[in-house]
Amino acid sequence: MVVSRSQNLFRATLTYATLIFFCFFCLFPFLWMLDTALKPAAEVMSDRPSFLIAAPTLENFESILFDSDFAIYFRNSLIVAIASTLLTLTVSVFSSYALSRWGRYAVAKAVGGALLVSQMIPGVLLLVPLYVLMQRLGLLSTYWALILVYCTFMIPLVTFMLKGFFDGVPFELEEAAEMDGCSRVGFIWRILLPLSAPGVLATSAFAFIAAWNEFMFGYVLINDDGHRTLTPGIMLFRGSHQTNWGLLMAASVLAVVPVAIAFVYLQRFLVEGLSAGAVKG
Amino acid sequence: MAAVEHATIAEAAPAPRGMLFRHARMQRVAALFLAPAAAFLLVLIAYPLCNVLWLSFRYANLVDPSTVGFAGFDNYDTILSDEEFAPALWHTFTWTGLSVAGEYALGLASAIALAQPIRGRAIFRGIVVVPWVIPIAVAGLNWIWLLNPDYGLINSWMVRLGLLAHPRDWLGGIDTALLAVTFVNVWRSFPFYTISILAALQAIPPDLHEAAAMDGAGPIRRFLVITMPHLKAVSLTLIFLHIIWTAINFDFIWVMTAGGPLNSSQTLPVMIYKYAMQDHDVGAACALASMSMSFMAAMFFMYYYSVRRKGAR
Repeated sequence: MVVSRSQNLFRATLTYATLIFFCFFCLFPFLWMLDTALKPAAEVMSDRPSFLIAAPTLENFESILFDSDFAIYFRNSLIVAIASTLLTLTVSVFSSYALSRWGRYAVAKAVGGALLVSQMIPGVLLLVPLYVLMQRLGLLSTYWALILVYCTFMIPLVTFMLKGFFDGVPFELEEAAEMDGCSRVGFIWRILLPLSAPGVLATSAFAFIAAWNEFMFGYVLINDDGHRTLTPGIMLFRGSHQTNWGLLMAASVLAVVPVAIAFVYLQRFLVEGLSAGAVKG
Repeated sequence: MAAVEHATIAEAAPAPRGMLFRHARMQRVAALFLAPAAAFLLVLIAYPLCNVLWLSFRYANLVDPSTVGFAGFDNYDTILSDEEFAPALWHTFTWTGLSVAGEYALGLASAIALAQPIRGRAIFRGIVVVPWVIPIAVAGLNWIWLLNPDYGLINSWMVRLGLLAHPRDWLGGIDTALLAVTFVNVWRSFPFYTISILAALQAIPPDLHEAAAMDGAGPIRRFLVITMPHLKAVSLTLIFLHIIWTAINFDFIWVMTAGGPLNSSQTLPVMIYKYAMQDHDVGAACALASMSMSFMAAMFFMYYYSVRRKGAR
């Protein structure tokens, strides 16, 4: 390349400056969240807020964990997110296998098209009929209401993500397995899934995060504290008059932990996996 | 389709009976494998979708089962004569337009910076994606606290930097509430653009840039002539997807302002929610949802045909 050294230096400086700005922009809200969570009440309510903490304390975490419904919400979110991830995967492994291997069949084309279209249909427009449906089925304020709805909205995306990974497993392997007397389900379970394990795990992490983060259906379909999930639950911690921000930020920090764990795993696949779909379109 | 294939196979060569049998059996297995996914779609998407349309022409109340009957266009009338409708429509446009524009600008800038050959790229990339994986409820609360007029960090910084004379209640002001939520939405959503644009940038062959540089094209010219055309397909898809996702987003506005103050940040999804869950008026909520849906469908066809026309050319 015909670029002078000074031009190169300028470019590197500009790049680093931009990236450091973006990192600061993306991270300072979280740093402030953590900072507030570690402050005693008197320091939280200061009109000259500062990142420095005079007397760091864990009392916010203590009282959110032991003196509130936080632990129950957290457990509910875990149950719903894990169950819907597993159910979504079970359904999608079969549908994506069918789309990957028999994509030319009419039935595969029809279901594939339906999956593609339903990906575009936003949940909020279906809020009322889904509420009425769950009411009629007697599922309001149960885990099943959320598990079923989350599955429905995740199956399309998860199916297409898995199909991408399954497409990469050569067809010859399957023929060889069949020769050796391996059934189709046996092939999926013993060969296909282990071979595409990294992709399947990344997809599960993605589904888990989506279920964990969902707010609207959790807010509308659950009306009892014993079954409420974390995202609507945290909103309830915000009192109508006086908000205890230290407590609220401690709850937020803890709510982000499972997402962070899933994300660390997902991160490596984000660029290849997710964007592959976007670029193709 | 499959039947045609079937016939041609049978005519072209008298295939052994076993092959045909196997083919039919495979189709049954395929249908079996696809059945669970199809069942989910039918029961929880297709049926509710038809139900929205059906209910929009009926009188129905969420808590009072005695409200029944055919309503004709009464529900649509209720919506159109609601004096909050026009402002909510306008808020939806503002919120969507500003969000998507801001997200695209930030996404493009960060993607270009991340595409440069520098050290520590993976770490920077990981950090930039962070806002996107945080629950909206948590991000919303976090920003309410940051924007707090009495103890918030943002106001304190702006006053100290001399940008503001006095702290401002951004989320509580009629003029600023929607803009503040839009800003937070941009903050959370732009990483998706970053990732997608970054992937497209990395797919541009580097020799194109080198050849152009040899011919004396400066960085800005190279960006306009080489980079931007390569980003066209991704950009169209991203913008189209996000117009839909943003226009129907309920969570951010509900968590941060609940449509207030004085409905100054109320968009159509918030209105649907209020009709359904606060007024219990199922008919009106479904009428509004149906109208939003037809608008979206129109958008979709516009996008689809614009892409297809380009493909044909």
